[in-house]
Amino acid sequence: MYSIGMSDNKLEAGSGFPLNDDPETLLLRVAGARDREALARLFSLFGPRVKSMMLKLGANDAIAEDMVQETFLSVWRKAHLYSIERGAAVSWIFTIARNLRIDQFRRQSNKPYEDLETVTIESAEPSGSMMIEQKQVIDRVTLALKSLSPEQQEVVRLSFLHDMPHAQIAEKVGIPLGTVKSRLRLAYERLRPMLEDLQ
Amino acid sequence: MTITHHPDIATLMAFSAGALEEPYAAVIATHLAMSEGGRETVRHMTTIGGALLNDEPNAKLSDKALERLMGKLGDERIEVPSHTPSDVPLPLQKYLPRGLDGVRWKWTGPGVATADLAWGRDGRSRLMLLRVAAGRRVPEHGHGGQELTLILQGAYKDRFGVFAKGDIADHDEDVEHQPIAEPGDDCICLVAVDAKLTFQGRLMRALQPLFGI
Repeated sequence: MYSIGMSDNKLEAGSGFPLNDDPETLLLRVAGARDREALARLFSLFGPRVKSMMLKLGANDAIAEDMVQETFLSVWRKAHLYSIERGAAVSWIFTIARNLRIDQFRRQSNKPYEDLETVTIESAEPSGSMMIEQKQVIDRVTLALKSLSPEQQEVVRLSFLHDMPHAQIAEKVGIPLGTVKSRLRLAYERLRPMLEDLQ
Repeated sequence: MTITHHPDIATLMAFSAGALEEPYAAVIATHLAMSEGGRETVRHMTTIGGALLNDEPNAKLSDKALERLMGKLGDERIEVPSHTPSDVPLPLQKYLPRGLDGVRWKWTGPGVATADLAWGRDGRSRLMLLRVAAGRRVPEHGHGGQELTLILQGAYKDRFGVFAKGDIADHDEDVEHQPIAEPGDDCICLVAVDAKLTFQGRLMRALQPLFGI
């Protein structure tokens, strides 16, 4: 029924799809035309990566699989709230996965995040973001992340991917809490030109 | 509203990663609701999460995963929730359903009152309001654990300057300072603190140099 093989790991971003099938276009098609095929493609592109992120939290395979389902069900239901000004589609999908992670694994409410999203949407902040740039932005930030020192990369990954609070990172890495914070600050200073440049 | 004092970048990164306990996340979200510049910074940080997700390896999904998803797609859409106007920013409304006027203050010391805000689950941190009359000392110091203080009304002054509405104090735990509420309206702060130290204990410690107790 759907032409995309789900366990086919050969499907990488940009391969096998027409050029205009970038993630932002797919997401806007889900939003505008309720395009199920576009959602299926987004799922094939990012579902396996979202699962990998969930597995990093110690979730078993079944729970990680459920979290992927929940993430893309939310993408389907919230796609109309996405706009190109909010950044790359993969960043938006990250925030959805993150909010579900807060709910499920941290056993806390993601309400502060949802309320802030409402404030952001209602304030309709202007931004000069252009769709064509989003892939470049992600590529540039990815490269910049890899150019960080191994120590800086470690704290950034433990925070964003492993969902670890600073105190837990300090314990795991065996460094003082203040060092965790200073590494994160330095990492951000290095990334900032790339992050701000994209607007 | 001009925001002069911003959260530590490391705190904003933890917020963006989703790695803060709810009281701290609530304080940061409330601050960001008052700070357009802060929201822009956090939007930039989200791209870090996006790039990391984009770079994740492909974990194998079950063979039926796509079919399962497609079977669940309905017409339901999640809309931006409607909300009524309030004197508190949206992320704080869940904790203060009757606004600042509806707060049941508890007297904690001369010119100082507090109110605990409920946030559902057990945790190691607390979310509370602190109200300090003009000229009184704000009893919050670096006595261990992370502490975030957001000014909702009035202002206080310490060696870092004047903290007014929308400003946030996010100091390292070993920083000592002695904020005094500025003249005018009572200074009302939203505070997230480590629960291990009770506020009363903190207050007593703050008063120690004054009374020699």
